[in-house]
This record gives sequence, C-alpha cells and structure tokens, in this order.
Amino acid sequence: MKDDTEEKGGLTRRGFLKSTGGAAAVAGMTVGGLAVGTGEAAAATGPMPKKWNETYDVVVIGSGFAGLAAAIEAKNAGASAVVIEKMAVHGGNSIINGGDFCAPGTKLQKEAGVQDSPDLMYNDMMKAGLYLNHPELARTVADQAKDALEWCENYIGAKFTRLNFHGGHSVKRANQTANASGSEVVNKMLGKARALGIEVQTRTKMVRFIANKDGRIVGIEVRTGYKFPDEKSGKTAYIKARKAVILTSGGFSEDLKLRQIEDPRLTDKFGTTNQPGATGEALLAACMAGAMDVQMDWIQLGPWTSPDEKGFGHVPLFCERLVGYGPMIDPVKGKRFFKETGNRKERADAIILLGHPVIIMGDSYSVPKQVFPRALEKGLESGAVKKFDTLEALAKNYNIPLSALQQEIARWNSFVEKKKDDDFDCMIFKDARPTAAPPFYAARLWPKVHHTMGGLVIDKNAQVFGLDFKPLKGLYAAGEVTGGVHGAVRLGGVAMADCLVFGRIAGKNAAKEKSWG
Amino acid sequence: MTYKRGSAVIPAGKLLALGFTLAVLLIFSITVFAAPKRVATAKPGNCAACHGQEKVFSPSHVDTKEMAYKDCLGCHEKTGPQKLQGKLPGSHLHRLRDINCEKCHGKAKKAGEVKMKQCLTCHDADKLAEKTAKVKPENPHTSPHYGTSLDCNLCHHQHQKSENYCNQCHKYDFTVP
Ligand SMILES: Cc1cc2nc3c(=O)[nH]c(=O)nc-3n(C[C@H](O)[C@H](O)[C@H](O)COP(=O)(O)OP(=O)(O)OC[C@H]3O[C@@H](n4cnc5c(N)ncnc54)[C@H](O)[C@@H]3O)c2cc1C
Ligand code: HEC
Ligand code: HEC
Ligand code: HEC
Ligand code: HEC
Ligand code: HEC
Ligand code: HEC
Repeated sequence: MKDDTEEKGGLTRRGFLKSTGGAAAVAGMTVGGLAVGTGEAAAATGPMPKKWNETYDVVVIGSGFAGLAAAIEAKNAGASAVVIEKMAVHGGNSIINGGDFCAPGTKLQKEAGVQDSPDLMYNDMMKAGLYLNHPELARTVADQAKDALEWCENYIGAKFTRLNFHGGHSVKRANQTANASGSEVVNKMLGKARALGIEVQTRTKMVRFIANKDGRIVGIEVRTGYKFPDEKSGKTAYIKARKAVILTSGGFSEDLKLRQIEDPRLTDKFGTTNQPGATGEALLAACMAGAMDVQMDWIQLGPWTSPDEKGFGHVPLFCERLVGYGPMIDPVKGKRFFKETGNRKERADAIILLGHPVIIMGDSYSVPKQVFPRALEKGLESGAVKKFDTLEALAKNYNIPLSALQQEIARWNSFVEKKKDDDFDCMIFKDARPTAAPPFYAARLWPKVHHTMGGLVIDKNAQVFGLDFKPLKGLYAAGEVTGGVHGAVRLGGVAMADCLVFGRIAGKNAAKEKSWG
Repeated sequence: MTYKRGSAVIPAGKLLALGFTLAVLLIFSITVFAAPKRVATAKPGNCAACHGQEKVFSPSHVDTKEMAYKDCLGCHEKTGPQKLQGKLPGSHLHRLRDINCEKCHGKAKKAGEVKMKQCLTCHDADKLAEKTAKVKPENPHTSPHYGTSLDCNLCHHQHQKSENYCNQCHKYDFTVP
C-alpha cells in the first residue's frame, strides 16, 4: 500500500492508525467493500462531482440533540442550513432518551436548595472519566451546560420539571424533561428548525465526505430515498457545503463490527439500548477524510438491563431502585458475586466475567417501597420481572441450588441487620430490611451496550482535528460522535449537556467560516 | 411473508438461463403464474379478477364476488381470531370499504408513493389515538417519542405486509392492519 509511506503532516497514516487502533477498523471497512488505501489520499474522500444536487452554507449530518442545535444556531447566525438523517424518522438516540439533563446552578436546583457549581460538575466528570477526559472539553461542557439548558427552556420552549440524582454526581443535578424523554427537547427543536426554514431530510444517508485538493471538506455524497438497513436502496446525490459540514451522527453502539474491533468482548451476545441506526460509518468516513479519533474502546455497558426484554426496557428501573436493598445473585452458585452499588462499569465487567445472566431480587417490603408502580406493572406484564410466593419457587425457576441460596440470603440478611456488608462492601441503605417477606420479586440481568465515549477529536470550537493535529478545514462535529469529553465513563445526564453545548458551538462557528465557492 | 408484485417478477426462461437450481426455479415460477394484477375496475370482493387461479382461500370458501367489508364481518369479526386485519393488504381493506385506488393515488397516470397527508384527509390522528387508547400492551397511535405525528406508512402498508415500527426497540405483539 502506497498509503503507508505517504506523509501527512509529519505522521504517516499507518503509524497513526496503529497508535489508535483505528487501522483495524479501517481494515474492517475494506472487507465491507469500501475502497480504502488504494494509493491516493483522495481515495478516502469522494471525487469532486461534476454537478452538486443541492447547495447550503452548512450541512448537518444527524437529527438528534447535537444536529438540531447546530442547525438552529447556524441559521440564526445567518447561514443557510440543512439537516440530513438516514433513518425514516428524526431524533436518533435523543428522541428515546430519558430526558435527564445535567447542569449546575439551575432553577430546579435552587428550588430544591441544592448547592452546585461548574467546578463541582467538572470535578465529577473528571473523576468518573478516570481523568482521561480532555480537560478543555469537559470544562466547556461544565461551564456552558446551564446556559444550554436555559436556551432549551427559553428559546426552544422545552419544559424541565423534576430534579433527579445519578450515581457519580456529588449532588442532584439532572434536570428532567416534563415527559421524562428527550423527545420533549428534540420535537420542540424540530418545530423551531422548521419555523426557521431548515429542512430535515430523512432517509438521506451520508456515504462519503468530499474534499478539494487542499483537503478542505467541501460537501458530502449521500443516498436519498435510503431505506435502512438496505445499503443498495436510494440514489446517489451530492450536497455542497459552502461553509462547513457538521457531523452529529451519534454513537456506534449498534455497530457490531466496529465495536468488536474496539472491545472484542462485545459480540452479538450483547444487545443495546440504542436505536438501530446507531452505527459508525459516518465516523469512519470522517477518519478516512483525515480526521483523528480518540478513546474508541471506552464503550459503556448498562449493567441494569435484562435479556428478557428488548432494548432499554423496564428492568433498569427495577434494578436501580433495588440495589442497596436486595442482593444480586449468580444463579449458578447461588451466591452474591459483586458490590450491588458499584458503578456501571464495575458491575457490567463483573457480570461479563461470569459469562451468564445474574439475578437481582427483592421482597414484598423493598419492591413496592422502591420501584415505581408503572415500571413494576409493565415488567411483570412482559415477564421480565417475576413474582414468587416462596424462595424455593424462585430457586427452581432460575435453576439456583436451593440450599446455597438459602444460606446466602441468610448471610445477606445478617449484613442488612448490621448495615455493613463484610463480603463486598455494598452500600446498605438505612431503611433497608432483610429480604425475607414473600412474595419475592426477581429479574435477570445481562449488560447491554449503552454509550460510546470515544469518537472524533475536536477542540473547544467543535472543529475536528486532522491527523496533522491541525483543524480539518470545513469539518465540525458534536455529540456522541466525538470523543474526549467524558473520558472513560460518561456520567448519567451529561450526554444531553455535551450534545447541546457542543452542537450550539459547532453551529455558530460553522456559520462564521468563509465560503470556499 | 412476501407479497408478489407485477414489477418484481422474473420470467421463468431467464431464470433457467441463469442456472438456478430446480427448487428455486419452482418457487419462482409459482410466483410468475400467480402474480395478482391490479385491475382497478375489479370489484373488491372478486378476488379471481386479479388473483386469477391463485388460491386466496380454500375452495369451499363462500363466494365473495359481490360482497363488501360489512358482509365479511359476519364470519370475520374484528375482535376474533378470524379477523381479516393482518391477513389482507391495506389496499384490500380499503377497497372493501369502497375506498378505491384514486382516493389515495389521485388521478396520476403512474401510482407511486402516498404521503401521510393523504391518509389524514380521511383519518384524524388524535381521534385515532383516543380510539386505540386501550390497545395492549401500548397504544400504537401515540408514544412519548413521536406523539401522534408518526408517519402511518411506517406501520400500515397498502400493498405489502404491514410492520410494527415500535418493535425495533420494544416487543409489542400488535396485529397491524
Ligand atoms: C435509552 C437511552 C436513554 C438515555 N438517557 C439519557 C439521559 O437521560 N440523559 C443523557 O444525558 N443521556 C442519555 N442517553 C444518551 C444520549 O441520549 C445520547 O448520547 C444522545 O442522544 C446522542 O445525541 P447525538 O445528537 O449525538 O446523536 P443521536 O441523537 O443518536 O443522533 C444521531 C443521528 O445521526 C443519524 N446518522 C448516523 N449516521 C448517519 C449517516 N451516515 N447519514 C445520515 N444520518 C446518520 C442517526 O440515525 C441519528 O438519528 C441515553 C441513551 C439511550 C440510548
Ligand atoms: C428507537 C427505539 C424506540 C422506538 C422505535 C420506539 N421506542 Fe418507545 N421507548 C424506547 C426507549 C429506550 C424507552 C425508555 C425505556 C423503556 O421504557 O423501554 C421507550 C419508552 C416508551 C414508553 C414508556 C414506557 C413506560 O413504561 O413508561 C412507551 C409507552 C413507548 N416507548 C411507546 C412506544 C411506541 C408506541 C412506539 C412505536 C410507535 C415506540 N415506543 C417506538 C425506545 C423506542
Ligand atoms: C360465511 C362465512 C364467511 C364469509 C361471509 C367470509 N368468509 Fe372468509 N373465511 C371463512 C372461513 C370459515 C375461513 C377459513 C377457511 C377457509 O379458508 O375457507 C375463511 C378464510 C378467509 C381467508 C383466509 C384467511 C387465512 O387465515 O389465511 C381470507 C383472506 C378471507 N376468508 C377473506 C374473506 C373476505 C375478504 C370476505 C368478505 C369479502 C370473507 N372472507 C367472507 C368464512 C367466511
Ligand atoms: C389506502 C390508500 C391506498 C389505496 C386505496 C391504494 N394504494 Fe397504492 N399505494 C399506497 C401507498 C401508501 C403506496 C406506497 C407503498 C406502500 O406503502 O405500500 C402505494 C403504492 C402503489 C404503487 C407503486 C408502488 C408499488 O407498491 O408497486 C402502485 C402501482 C399502486 N400503489 C397502485 C394501486 C392500485 C392500482 C390501487 C387500487 C387497486 C391502489 N394502489 C390502492 C396507498 C394506497
Ligand atoms: C378516502 C378516505 C381514506 C383515505 C385517503 C385513507 N383511508 Fe384508511 N380507511 C378509510 C375508511 C373509510 C376506513 C374504514 C373505517 C375506519 O376504520 O376508519 C379505513 C380504514 C383504515 C385502516 C383500518 C383497516 C382495518 O380494517 O382495520 C387503516 C390501518 C387505514 N385505514 C390506514 C390508512 C392509511 C395508512 C392511509 C394513507 C396511506 C389511509 N388509510 C388512507 C378511509 C381512508
Ligand atoms: C406504530 C405503528 C402504527 C402507526 C405509525 C400507525 N398505526 Fe394505525 N394501527 C396500528 C395498530 C397496531 C392497529 C391495530 C390496533 C388494534 O389492535 O386495535 C392500528 C389500527 C388502525 C386503524 C383501525 C382503528 C380501529 O380500531 O378502528 C386505523 C384506521 C389506523 N390504524 C390508521 C392509522 C393512521 C391513519 C395512521 C397515521 C396517522 C396510523 N394508523 C399510524 C399501528 C400503527
Ligand atoms: C384489484 C385487484 C385485486 C382484487 C380484487 C383482490 N386482490 Fe388480493 N392482491 C392484489 C394484488 C395486486 C396483491 C399484491 C399486493 C398489492 O399490491 O396490494 C394482492 C395481495 C393479496 C394477498 C396477500 C398475498 C400473499 O401472498 O400473502 C392476499 C391474502 C389477497 N390479496 C387476498 C385477496 C382476497 C381474499 C381477495 C378477494 C376478497 C382479493 N385479494 C382481491 C390484487 C387484488
């Protein structure tokens, strides 16, 4: 491959790819039939088309939080803008999310008497992220989250009505939308975008970036009328971006091939909580156009999901309300195996190491007290949560050795009595009682892929980095497609802050670019 | 289930030339001869007018030539296992109610895509959501994500088997008419 020796700002492409693990990813794409490394640098981007089908100042790829925020800001800064979306419906993961938006010093916090500050949020993000976060990016999110939330409220018209707590934060700072879903923000942003004259073109998939001979991104190649996941569907078209392209294509949790390159454990044994279109081809297309990626192998699994229901489901709400009240059991041994109140990553890793689903259980004291009635009712209805009159029946159902289970429950109960877990140091809540009062409730747990922390390298202006450490001209990115903001662990509720803050920055800055033609 | 369409049919001779196995050829040739036609003037109950010899139901089935939807209901009530919903393409369910091709496609020479706007000339999305509020396990016509604005055509197909869009992420056992 001639590519190997080609110099790009002092770094050879191969040398770089090796260092990030991206080489394997690109190799994977070659198998998929995309021409990579055929010799010329231009092969990584599409050829300049003879004719552009459409022209805008700013072209936004992806219609989630980040993309819609970017398009609205670009338009308000005087640029013409379009949003393209490959799926039949707008919204990506944003429209199915839980609506928790972390920001410090908000109205809801003040009403609840919570003391908070950007510094405190920044410290929480860094600590959870194992200090792998790019400090400048994390700082930008912490500093501007409140402003972004107020923009959603005052300009977009979204309502936030509840203050929630998420593990890893020092204080309650998750401001939840009125309908407990990201759709409150997405649908109102979509309404705003339309009112501003921004078109959102669904079933339009970005296939390749197009660069001019200086490597500046000048537009994209798309397939219109695309029907996910049929790669042959649709027709090729070219969209010119006079000022810039903004990539807001989300994460790659649903991309089996790419995620296994980054974390080989994540085979098809693992489902996801994501929308099916959360795949990485747009991210890889940016890499092929010369963008740099970072921390791609930090992929977050939710330890609270169930193999007995699809997607996110109801078991997370059952499980997360029960930890610290009831034990988590390995059914093969009938014994506990890990700290129930450990963080997302520790717990998911522990279950994966066992290699089979585990059980979280509670009794007729803890369950009705802790679990939202709707989640319990829906969980029981779908069969993902089960109810048993006796411990024997529970053991029989999950094939747990009965005497081992009985001993372990007695042991757990003794810890609950003294509020101290000698085995795994689980946090036992003050009002917890021994798990002894039938009926018992239980659900199986098996982690699902939830969030991809890694992605494209950006600077605090949302400008994408090239392999020469310089901004890749004409390309901005924001949201889950970028990496560095969260480091090793994305804390609950911080993705919304990230997407809205950097989406807005990307939009404003893209609009300020000089037109190339 | 795949539906057969005139446009997708491959002549049996060509298949032979391509050297397909006999088994494949058999399946395809059945398709060829059975492909229903879209005879716009045929009475909706006159299955044979479009389906020809294809067996759309058993030979002992009552003659439906002159029937409309309400006449089917006596034996195919909507709440029972014999319901026609999910068994007949949407265009059939419409035509049996006297909603002909033109009411969706207009007078265009070549019928094509039909926008959701067209469905809403006869159906009211909000009223529909009220009507199906009690459907288990969830109301298909509203959701926290899309409200009542989700495109009907993502679920209801008029010329193919309908789908359940929600099941990309949920497991709702709907029968989608
Ligand atoms: C079930 C669930 C609950 C969550 N809850 C919360 C929460 O409460 N709080 C929080 O902060 N975070 C939460 N998250 C995380 C958060 O929702 C996501 O990180 C966030 O929505 C990402 O937004 P985005 O704009 O970057 O991408 P998305 O919203 O995913 O949008 C990207 C869009 O780009 C499209 N796209 C991809 N490739 C292409 C292409 N080649 N061409 C055209 N379009 C393309 C995709 O189809 C998608 O629509 C949750 C995530 C999930 C899955
Ligand atoms: C792209 C994925 C996706 C699609 C498609 C989708 N949903 Fe959801 N839905 C979710 C997620 C994630 C949640 C939140 C967690 C949960 O309850 O599963 C949710 C929650 C819900 C809830 C609230 C559940 C509760 O018990 O509070 C309802 C109701 C719902 N969806 C209905 C629908 C309907 C109806 C459709 C089809 C019109 C649909 N959804 C399509 C992902 C999706
Ligand atoms: C007198 C009662 C009766 C009437 C009226 C009737 N059907 Fe049926 N239909 C049946 C019975 C019984 C069966 C099942 C056995 C069979 O296929 O004949 C059936 C089967 C069918 C099937 C096959 C269903 C399957 O499960 O595959 C279709 C399609 C069908 N009917 C359509 C219609 C339509 C459309 C009408 C009205 C135009 C109609 N029927 C009127 C009794 C009736
Ligand atoms: C209730 C509305 C409706 C009725 C009635 C209807 N169609 Fe359609 N038709 C559609 C929709 C929607 C599509 C787009 C494809 C789909 O969703 O199935 C379509 C697509 C088509 C297409 C082009 C694509 C394809 O599937 O081949 C043709 C041709 C067509 N219809 C012919 C007809 C004819 C002929 C009739 C009357 C026998 C008819 N349609 C009745 C809604 C309707
Ligand atoms: C010209 C009026 C008209 C148009 C246009 C129309 N429909 Fe209908 N549709 C009806 C009538 C009338 C019925 C029967 C009464 C009812 O259920 O509302 C019906 C019934 C239905 C049913 C229920 C069928 C059953 O047997 O359960 C569905 C689903 C449906 N329509 C979907 C659509 C979709 C999707 C479109 C657009 C592609 C559409 N309709 C366009 C008039 C129309
Ligand atoms: C998420 C999939 C989905 C979407 C999107 C959807 N429907 Fe339905 N629709 C269903 C299901 C499922 C049923 C059957 C409900 C039941 O079991 O009674 C249904 C039933 C109907 C009926 C018959 C209602 C009755 O009981 O009389 C009509 C009419 C209808 N749909 C029209 C529409 C129209 C018009 C739209 C767009 C505005 C639409 N649907 C969008 C899934 C959907
Ligand atoms: C106007 C022409 C026409 C009439 C009349 C008609 N059909 Fe069809 N039918 C079609 C076409 C064309 C298709 C292929 C799907 C489509 O385009 O709607 C089809 C598809 C079907 C299918 C699905 C095919 C499959 O392989 O599963 C069934 C079932 C069916 N028709 C049953 C009936 C019955 C029962 C009647 C009589 C009550 C009937 N049709 C009357 C044209 C017609």
